[in-house]
Amino acid sequence: MLAEAVNVLAGDDRITGSLGAVAYGLAAIGPGIGVGIIFGQGVQAIARQPELYNTIRQNMLLGFALTEALALIGFVVPFVHP
Amino acid sequence: MSARQLLAAEGGNEFQAPGTEIFEWGPLWHGAPSWLTKPTLIVALSVIIVCGFFWAAFSKPKLVPRGVQNVGEVGYLFVRDQLARPLIGKDGDKWMPFLMSTFFFILVMNLMGVVPVMQLPAPSHIAFAIVPAAVVYVLMIFLSIKEQGLVGYFRNMMFPPGLPAWLYVILSPIELLSNIILRPFTHAVRLFANMFAGHLIIAFFATVAYWFLFEKLTPLGASLGLLGFVMTIIMTAFEIFVQALQAFIFTLLAASYIGGALHPDH
Amino acid sequence: MVRPAMSKEGQRPDPESDADHRAFANAAWSIPSYLLSGMAVYGGLGWLLDRWLGTSALLPIGVVVGLALALYLVYHRYGR
Repeated sequence: MLAEAVNVLAGDDRITGSLGAVAYGLAAIGPGIGVGIIFGQGVQAIARQPELYNTIRQNMLLGFALTEALALIGFVVPFVHP
Repeated sequence: MSARQLLAAEGGNEFQAPGTEIFEWGPLWHGAPSWLTKPTLIVALSVIIVCGFFWAAFSKPKLVPRGVQNVGEVGYLFVRDQLARPLIGKDGDKWMPFLMSTFFFILVMNLMGVVPVMQLPAPSHIAFAIVPAAVVYVLMIFLSIKEQGLVGYFRNMMFPPGLPAWLYVILSPIELLSNIILRPFTHAVRLFANMFAGHLIIAFFATVAYWFLFEKLTPLGASLGLLGFVMTIIMTAFEIFVQALQAFIFTLLAASYIGGALHPDH
Repeated sequence: MVRPAMSKEGQRPDPESDADHRAFANAAWSIPSYLLSGMAVYGGLGWLLDRWLGTSALLPIGVVVGLALALYLVYHRYGR
């Protein structure tokens, strides 16, 4: 296993295996952090100003949709460029 | 158990991470009928456990609950106050039997993933996630057509008001596919994928611990094995949380679909 | 019925919040399936056109366009 890792790092061997899965794993990091930030800050905002619940919630959903879109692009890219 | 089998099967000198073969179980014993595998046994056991638990809790209800009836009532109140009433509305209590049995059946099936000897969440086979989702799906379509009429259902679903007419041509296919096909699909896949990945993660760390601590004990590998051991415990605790959460989310979605069918204005 | 104290404290106060809560749960859980379906419809259309015309650029374009349309749909349904 170590030898394989060294080979991959040295670049003298072709990377094999399900590279699409690795790519999606990397692509999911950013949206994962983003969704966490959106809902965390959203809950904080609601806790500070409960009377703005509806506005905050709607903006939370929109931000979530935009971030989720990035994750889904990452999900589709391995199918688009195999 | 699965780790030991795996290592025996590999026989090699190099560490092999467990793959999807840990989900493939043949018939229970030699000569058993081919459908009688470990997952079906787990599902049957879950049914028996859920039925037995609620039989013990509610067969002879007392005005002042004692013992197991207390636990059953807390579970009932949880499902009613968190799911049925907020998501279906005032007529939510009518749907309590369905939601209650769905929640506890899936919860027990999931928790089988951390019960010793069993250690396989049944929904990590997608069939056991598809069937409850399909039941909810058929119920949702039936209720929608009953409440809103066939034309009204498709009008509410495909044509959200307040858009220019030409945009409907572009957006209606998205709505149709999302509501008719992808809803039950994501409903089933959420449960399946969480259980599948969780079981794989636990099996991976357990294999690491077993391989580096028992099979090939070296000074350098021992720390890795110890890390795997600790991570197995942490991940098992995390899995208990995820399993309960996924049962909750599955029931939440079921209640949300039923509520959406009964109250189409939202 | 059983525990009036529990159902009052910590719950949302106003009576119309049930419908609100329902709408929020519906929206939050159907956004991923909207986005996926937008990508599937227009990405699939692009894929078919690619096969028909022999090009290779229409599938990614379709995916992005479908995603944008699905986002607009989400905005229209839940964002206002």
